[in-house]
Amino acid sequence: MSSPEDIARARQLKELEPLHEAWSNWTHARQSLEETLPLMQDPDPTMRTLASEEFTSLAHTLSTHISTTFPSLLVPPSSTRDLHALLELKAGVGGSEAALFLLDLLRVYVRYAGSVGWRTSIIQSSETESGGMRDAILEIKGEGAYDALRWESGVHRVQRVPATESSGRTHTSTVAVIVLPLSEDAENIGGNDELFKMEDVKIEVMRARGAGGQHVNKTESAVRLTHTPTGITVSMQDERSQHQNKRRAFQVLRARLMDVKLSRDIANRRATRRNLVRTADRSEKIRTYNYAQDRVTDHRIGLSLMNLTSFLEGDGVQDFLDALRRNWQEEIMEDVVGESE
Amino acid sequence: MRTSDSVKHLFARLVSSLGRATATREFKWMKQALIPSHSLTLPAMLQRRLSGEPLQYILGTTPFGPLDLLTRPPTLIPRPETEHWTLRLADMLSPTPHRPLTVLDLCTGTGCIPLLLCHLWPPGSTRAYGLDISKDAIRLAMDNAARCNIPSSQPSSLTPYSQNVFIPVLGDLRDPAIFKYLLPPFDIITANPPYIPKREYDELPISVKDYEDPAALLGDPPDSEEQDGLTYYRLISQLLRQKGMLRDGSIVALEVGRAQADAVEGILQQSAGLRNTQVWKDPWDVKRVVLART
Repeated sequence: MSSPEDIARARQLKELEPLHEAWSNWTHARQSLEETLPLMQDPDPTMRTLASEEFTSLAHTLSTHISTTFPSLLVPPSSTRDLHALLELKAGVGGSEAALFLLDLLRVYVRYAGSVGWRTSIIQSSETESGGMRDAILEIKGEGAYDALRWESGVHRVQRVPATESSGRTHTSTVAVIVLPLSEDAENIGGNDELFKMEDVKIEVMRARGAGGQHVNKTESAVRLTHTPTGITVSMQDERSQHQNKRRAFQVLRARLMDVKLSRDIANRRATRRNLVRTADRSEKIRTYNYAQDRVTDHRIGLSLMNLTSFLEGDGVQDFLDALRRNWQEEIMEDVVGESE
Repeated sequence: MRTSDSVKHLFARLVSSLGRATATREFKWMKQALIPSHSLTLPAMLQRRLSGEPLQYILGTTPFGPLDLLTRPPTLIPRPETEHWTLRLADMLSPTPHRPLTVLDLCTGTGCIPLLLCHLWPPGSTRAYGLDISKDAIRLAMDNAARCNIPSSQPSSLTPYSQNVFIPVLGDLRDPAIFKYLLPPFDIITANPPYIPKREYDELPISVKDYEDPAALLGDPPDSEEQDGLTYYRLISQLLRQKGMLRDGSIVALEVGRAQADAVEGILQQSAGLRNTQVWKDPWDVKRVVLART
């Protein structure tokens, strides 16, 4: 058994790994460069050509370290790096077309999570008659899922001709996405913790059962939680088991309260005030999927991807997540530099 | 008719009979319970549901707390009210292997109450008996014990047990001979006895009346003088009154029907001599359990 100290030490070592790796790569490249220099005056022309090619590649490695690798090490390790994620999707304007697009987006996230090796399950959904979903909650279990996906929060807009539209007119519909942080212990029912007190949570079962007991054998498993101080309510009815619905409801409640706490922490930190992405309003449109132009555009960073299919069927979402993470890291670096001035 | 057409049509009928929200959820659970290559098809499930069969019999299981129990006709399907009070009872006590508890569950049916207690309490802390007059119920209780990985045979009395045990026993609670197999005194006696009066029984929904065992529902034998649904509480009280049945500090928990709690409290106080009683409400605000302590 490892003691808490061991675990803390192991974690610290793991966090220092990138620093160590960057420094040894840097030292190694410099040493190689010094060894290459004399060879550039070698009498053998073949050797000279080889040495010169080597020189160009090493010089490139070194300059990447200075321009990218070292600055990125300034970004402090994320305090939310271990967290899993809950994705809440809600169809917005556009009726059944929005519900169909919600399903498209849901598939994108499920496939992306699978490609990273994270486990997903849809813990709540309401299907529409036309085969879409009005809303859904997707649980994504995997360390770092929250950090990777949190930039997906916001309004996603689709412009396309619905399959059901006979006149061929383009419709605009929206789906709102909220990415919530989920911790490992979020499944415990009850118990007080830093997020809420049990006495502040009202647990209700849905609907009246008449006489109940032996008189009725209808499945009645829906549960609603209300967190009185914040007014947050969570309803769960997808499972046959009330026990399971309650467990799920507490999981979502914890994620929402953790989200509130994180937002408050960020607001309290003056340094992040200039950070555009992080403080973005969730009711703001963040991305447009335009079918006629076969284009996905992220409005926050002005990035467009000219292949919609690669986003919806492939790994195009990775490009956006990478770009958004880089953007965020650059802003943090600017903050760090700004503070030291 | 193609299968998908008939499913669509049957689902539409389910919506008009149960309402959209319930029908959609039940349909989803049916799809989840489908096993490829199994003879049970979606149209067959929908047909059975439409003719009034309880979903739990169609799917063959029901959740009960963290357990997933088998359900088979005609044995009474465990109810959410029973689940709720059993969880509460489990929370209230904390037996240990050093201070183990002996439980007797009367009219045990699927065995849901003692199985949940055995599952939730620490290994080696609980020895439970479940009595039922129905062979079907006892067979199902045995199968459920196996499904929950809880041994259902008498452990050797010499060694301290490392596991909780649930022993289903076939017998009539009116028969004194049952105590050859059930060994008092008991620390906890639980029961969800039949409690529906005849006149209410006649009005029950068909999913209950036409599918579940009348012997698990009807509170009084047809020839009984009283038709208030309370016959079994009187019988249980006679049992509790017997010497050596309960320990000091024992607990009796009896589920009751709507508007029966006060009467059952009276029976326990007067004929069983249990003065220290209390009533628990279910999540739907109905007085559901009478609890007594010695």
